[in-house]
Amino acid sequence: MVKKSIALVLSIMMVMTLFAGCSGAGGSGGLKVGMVTDSGTIDDKSFNQGTWEGVNKAADELKLDKQKNIKYLKPTGTTEADYLKEITNLHDAGYKFIVCPGFKFSSAIFKAQDKYSDTKFVLIDAAPNSGEKGAKDVVKPNTVSVFFAEHESGFLGGVAVALQLKEGDVGFIGGMEIPPVQKFNWGFQQGIKYANENLGTKINIKAENVVYQGSFDNVAAGQQLAAQMYDKGVKLIFTAAGGVGVGAINEAKARAKAGKQVWIMGVDVDQYADGIYEGDKSIILTSAMKKVDQAAADMIKAEKDGKFPGGQTIVFDSKNNGVGIPAKNPNLTEDTTKKVGEIFKKIQAGEIKVSAEKGDLIK
Amino acid sequence: MKLPIIKGIKKETAVSLLAVVFGLVAGALFMLMTGNNPFAGYAFLFQGGLMSIERIGNTLATSTPLILTGLSIAFAFKTGMFNVGAAGQMLFGGFCATAVGLTLNLPKPLLLTLMLIAAILGGALWAWVPGFLKARFNVHEVVSTIMMNWISYWVVYYTVPAYFKGEFLETESRKISDHASLKVAWLSDLFGGSYINLGILLAVIAVIVISFILDKTVMGYELKSVGFNRFAAEYAGVSVNRSIILSMMISGALAGLGGAALYVGNASNIQIGILPSQGMDGIAVSLLGANSPLGVLGAAIFFGLLYSGKGFMNAMTNIPPEIADTIIATIIYFAATSVMIEKFIDRIIRRKRGE
Repeated sequence: MVKKSIALVLSIMMVMTLFAGCSGAGGSGGLKVGMVTDSGTIDDKSFNQGTWEGVNKAADELKLDKQKNIKYLKPTGTTEADYLKEITNLHDAGYKFIVCPGFKFSSAIFKAQDKYSDTKFVLIDAAPNSGEKGAKDVVKPNTVSVFFAEHESGFLGGVAVALQLKEGDVGFIGGMEIPPVQKFNWGFQQGIKYANENLGTKINIKAENVVYQGSFDNVAAGQQLAAQMYDKGVKLIFTAAGGVGVGAINEAKARAKAGKQVWIMGVDVDQYADGIYEGDKSIILTSAMKKVDQAAADMIKAEKDGKFPGGQTIVFDSKNNGVGIPAKNPNLTEDTTKKVGEIFKKIQAGEIKVSAEKGDLIK
Repeated sequence: MKLPIIKGIKKETAVSLLAVVFGLVAGALFMLMTGNNPFAGYAFLFQGGLMSIERIGNTLATSTPLILTGLSIAFAFKTGMFNVGAAGQMLFGGFCATAVGLTLNLPKPLLLTLMLIAAILGGALWAWVPGFLKARFNVHEVVSTIMMNWISYWVVYYTVPAYFKGEFLETESRKISDHASLKVAWLSDLFGGSYINLGILLAVIAVIVISFILDKTVMGYELKSVGFNRFAAEYAGVSVNRSIILSMMISGALAGLGGAALYVGNASNIQIGILPSQGMDGIAVSLLGANSPLGVLGAAIFFGLLYSGKGFMNAMTNIPPEIADTIIATIIYFAATSVMIEKFIDRIIRRKRGE
């Protein structure tokens, strides 16, 4: 009985495979760029989306066929095996330039860069590492590892917030307690401290209002945390938490609709549009950006020009405009924007040093 | 017209196969609606899972945790329990195995044995709690197993970074050594560098052992009798409370073993902040497999094939990953509604007989 059913299933598959023989795969011309998403969806308003937009931007500029030359795959799980499987799929389908956003790809790329030496890899927010005890990062000539100076971005955001709000309490909601998120937090606190000391603001950040939720996808928890903070009189929350931040934004929008004045500072990308609750009014005061899209696009263009910086570790910071707040901030006054611009120049010139370490800051 | 296919095989098998066919047809309609060629789509799906020896290995490896969680849930179903906690039992079992693997330094056979025992005990412990609560206080196992899932999630969330943190990866444990991995060189080489591992052998052994327990032992008979009618079983002298706890523990042990297959077999570290999806998929596997151990084996391999081939289908066609997920969900949905299909078959048979 079992034999018969197996035979049936097998014969169905055979027929399918035969049919497929007739319809070939899309012919390839030019550079084929693949991307594997991190946990979360392609429209996460953050990491995956930013990277994918960068890939699209590069495809536009290089006039690549968007149907055939760029592609993203979504792994079924988050283990190294799941990531490697999708990298293999892209490789076997002819995508020989693969962008992987997220620190979780570290050990998968470590293996892939050896296994597929004919393929170029861009690893964002991490360096390839075997993950074994005491192992060193290994960036092979076919891989580029990209990092961001999140602390500088958080610092600028903190200064902008302080200048705009002048006084009162602010808070921070992070996702997982990992370096890229922590650095946003530490930079934010330093920015507020700088503004209080040098620009005459009186912004307060209490230890109880600095929270790491522990995940990047718990929307409901983000909403609850934000509600608690706003109830305690917090005026603005800086969210560096993916989906958890979306929950906080929802809470802020609900409150703004009810006539209360609350703010969110967005993260990673310009989140202004996500915070719109009425007409063109948004609860996003500004966003601490890390320009993942630019990083992805730059690497693809470099590959096209034959200048792929293989084997290198590249840091995107204020010096190369890789971090910062958006060019347009409808909720900031002109005065604030101007002053933040001056501070940005000072960071670029090295006059202001933002620490990437915790030091005596909160969490 | 006679129904030759149905005549030759058991009704349950026919129902499951029809569910698969309906699911594939529904998936094909989805592909057509989104402007893709379903024949090409399915061909790439199956090629992605089967076109090289390495990919076949990966498909089997993807199926391994599903076989074990499917078996876990099927066993619970057979004995009248609905174990929704396979994800948590799996996570905790996998965590126990990882903890042993990262702590002890022993020869591989001994270490692996200890790790597997730890996984089995961990899973069994996690299922013992809902079993005990059901037997003693009549707490419904669906509620308590779901709660145990989250307890397991947070226990792992805090314990891994505290004691087994990776060097750079804050959300993962350290990588286990080759010593402590279910991957063995001869099996990887046999399948051209695939991540297939001893887990698949364990899963097949588990299928055999569980069919033996269910069909050939007094214990299995007693457990099943409690599943059919707990009061009749009690009247016949079966200790119902003991049976409930025992069947939950066996179910949990299987899920725990699935955790070992996932975290120290397919993967080489345990991650925090995520419940393994195989726990819930196991319910669908069990339904499609009509709760029989052999059926579960077939259903899990089919699901493994879908999951493993999906990416290649995405890469070769313009079917976006989200649609591919929907197609797979549609197939699972049809699999889960096999009761509906059963009624449909009954009606056809009745009509043939002219009733």
